[in-house]
Parts: sequence; structure tokens; C-alpha cells
Amino acid sequence: MRTADRDLAELADEFVIGLCDPEEQREVEQRLENEADLAAHVELARQRFAALDAATPEEALPEGLWTRITRRLDALEAGGAESQEPETGATVTDLGAARAARSGGIGWTGFTAVTAVAASLVLAIALAWNVLTAVDPKVIAVLVSDDGQPVAMIEGTQDNTTLVTMLGDTDVPAGTVLQLWTKPDPDGPPVSVGVFDEPQKTVLEAMGLPAPTVDQLYEITFEQPGGSPTGLPTGPILGKGFTKEPN
Amino acid sequence: MMDKVSGMDHAELIAGCARKDRSALRSLMEHEGPKMLGIARRILRRADLAEDALQDALIQIWRKAGSFDPSRGSGRAWIYAILRNRSLNMLRDGSREAATEDDRLERQIDGSELNDAWEMLGHDSELRKCLSELETDKRSAVLMSYVWGYTHGEIAGRLSAPLGTVKAWVRRGLTSLRECMS
Repeated sequence: MRTADRDLAELADEFVIGLCDPEEQREVEQRLENEADLAAHVELARQRFAALDAATPEEALPEGLWTRITRRLDALEAGGAESQEPETGATVTDLGAARAARSGGIGWTGFTAVTAVAASLVLAIALAWNVLTAVDPKVIAVLVSDDGQPVAMIEGTQDNTTLVTMLGDTDVPAGTVLQLWTKPDPDGPPVSVGVFDEPQKTVLEAMGLPAPTVDQLYEITFEQPGGSPTGLPTGPILGKGFTKEPN
Repeated sequence: MMDKVSGMDHAELIAGCARKDRSALRSLMEHEGPKMLGIARRILRRADLAEDALQDALIQIWRKAGSFDPSRGSGRAWIYAILRNRSLNMLRDGSREAATEDDRLERQIDGSELNDAWEMLGHDSELRKCLSELETDKRSAVLMSYVWGYTHGEIAGRLSAPLGTVKAWVRRGLTSLRECMS
């Protein structure tokens, strides 16, 4: 169990504020059913943060909300469509069941649970080394701009160390940084590989991503300092390209 | 236990839901719905997704009301935990993409929403006092997680800090809050 050795108060806090990764969350939910001391810590943490909920500005309830809810209650009693709603058991939620029920949900067709986990863990840390050391690439992609010019070369290794080599002079708009993205699942959302400031050779290490494969999309966008706050590319695209195997 | 602020007895309304009394659920919706919707909106960004989260949460409250045990915690906290969980699960499961499409620029420009979140806490609030004693980065990291549903990685991106540093900030921030509020 990954959470077995964790300090209970700390684990409860991270669970309550929403920082457990999906696997940890499932474990905590299971443990809560039998471990009264952990449940007590969770309750204390909820009470500590409850003031933030209470201070949230209210939003007017949309018209017809109660009618829509009663329709769902009717369906529930009739054993209809509502039975497909995530069944969540005795604890507050079951992330796994919810995720399984919703996979292929809003806009993410074919996005598997595995990559969903990866995406939520994905981390964009730029080690910001200006390295000259070569990596041993499993795949290489040349990113091309809209007007067909090669702008960067991406070399990805089995352990997801990614070497970015900028090609030619790159004009980085003032107040922006470069962010590298990839799509481990072609039908899934882009996930961040890392952020870097200078348009020069950079090594990025992404945690939680599957190893890169052939024909995987990479792209670089210009984002605000620190990278896209939404977790998805928001800025103009510098260039994009698909990986090939070096031979 | 009666809620001091609203005079509502959440546990009693939850018990009503367990007895399949729809007026109890409606009462919960009318009293807590606007706030629940505000919380879902801050996490999911889009009004339609926030309503989905609120609807789902109310249906879950209805279905699970029988398992609520008032001796183990407050009814209000139980309701909000269900709403927050539903919102965060929707976010992690893919609504983020949909959620950010329309207003993707809004939050990146405006970090003031995060300050509002804790500055709206009453001046006599213990949480506010304890948050204000944290260093800015630690406070921001904790608030980005609770208020916006950010992951460690997203906090790291937003604060331009390495992941390990962010994890340490969050843990130290949470420890300080526990000590401050105990």
C-alpha cells in the first residue's frame, strides 16, 4: 500500500484538499471505512478548510434545476438511466468507478484510465540544464512551423528524458516561455513535457508519462512564465511534429 | 447539530433524504446549492459543467444519505465533501479540456481570484489568520489545490517551481496550518 507509511494527519490533509493522486485517493477511501483514526483526521481537515467553502461567492441556481433533479430522481426510482451513474459505495467517492464510468466522457474518447492517471500526474519540470551531453533517443521528432520551417528537434528516451534542440533562431515573444507538449494517447489531450525559458538546447524530464512511441505528436507553444496555468496549451504554436524511430 | 450561521440542521435534512423525502433534498438544494455551485464553478470554470457537478452531487447525497453517520462528522462537511469530490473527479476525468476551452485566458491573467478566496474569509476567521501567517508561496500552493483543484504539477507550473519544492511547500504549509489551528 502506497499510503501505509504516511503520517495520518498529513495524508488526511492532502486527501481533503485534493492533492492525492488517484491511486492514493482510492487507498484512502478504502482505509476510511475501517480506520477510525484516519477518518477522524479527515473530518478535522474538512472542518479546518470548511471556512473556504463557506466564503465562496454564491451563484444563482439555474432555472429548472429542481425539475431536472426530480427527473433524475424519477429515473432513479424507476431503475433507469441513473443506474449508470458512478456507484460510489459507502465512502464519499470512488474515483476508480467514477473514472471508469466516465472514460470516453467529455471530449476524451478512448482515453484510457492509464493515461488519465498519467495526465493527472504529469509534471513539467524543466531541469533547465544547458547540456551538451547526448541522450540515447528511442524516438526523434522534427517540429515544423506553420510555414513549413523546421524549428526544433525532440529526442525522447525510454525513461522520458527529452532533449530539445532548437533549430535556427527562435523569436520568443516578450513575457513568454516555451512549453513542450505531447500526446501519449493520440485521442487524448496534450500533456506538458516541460517549460523552458531560453530557446536553446534543453533537457526536460517529465514524470508520470508513458515512454514515447512512434508517431506521437509533440508541439511547442509560447506560454506565460511558469507555463500554461490550465494544464493545456493556450498560447501560439511554434511548431509541431510526429516522432519517428532513429535507424 | 444546528449550523450556527444558517440555522439549518443539515443532519436532519440528510436523514430526510434517507427517508426519501424529496422536500428535504429540495431544501438542501435551495440553501446550499448557490454556494455549492460557486465552489464547482471555481474548479470547473464553466457554468454548465458546474451545474452537472451540483446535480450529480445532490443525486449522490440522495442515494448515500442512509450511510451518513452524524456521530462521525458534520452534515455540512459531508455534503461539501461530496460536491468537491464530484467536481475534482470531473476535472481529472477530462472536463478540464472542455472547461478551459472557452475561457482559457481568464485565469492565467487574473490571479486575484485566489487572493479573494481567502481574503473573503471573515476577519475573525482562524483559517484566515493562519493562512496569512504562511509564506506567500506556501499559501498559494495550498489555495491553488483547494480552491482551483490544481495538482502538484499544475501548481509547480503556475509558480515556476520544481515539483519537489512544491510538494515540500504544500506539506510545510499544511503542517503550519494544523499547528496554528489546533
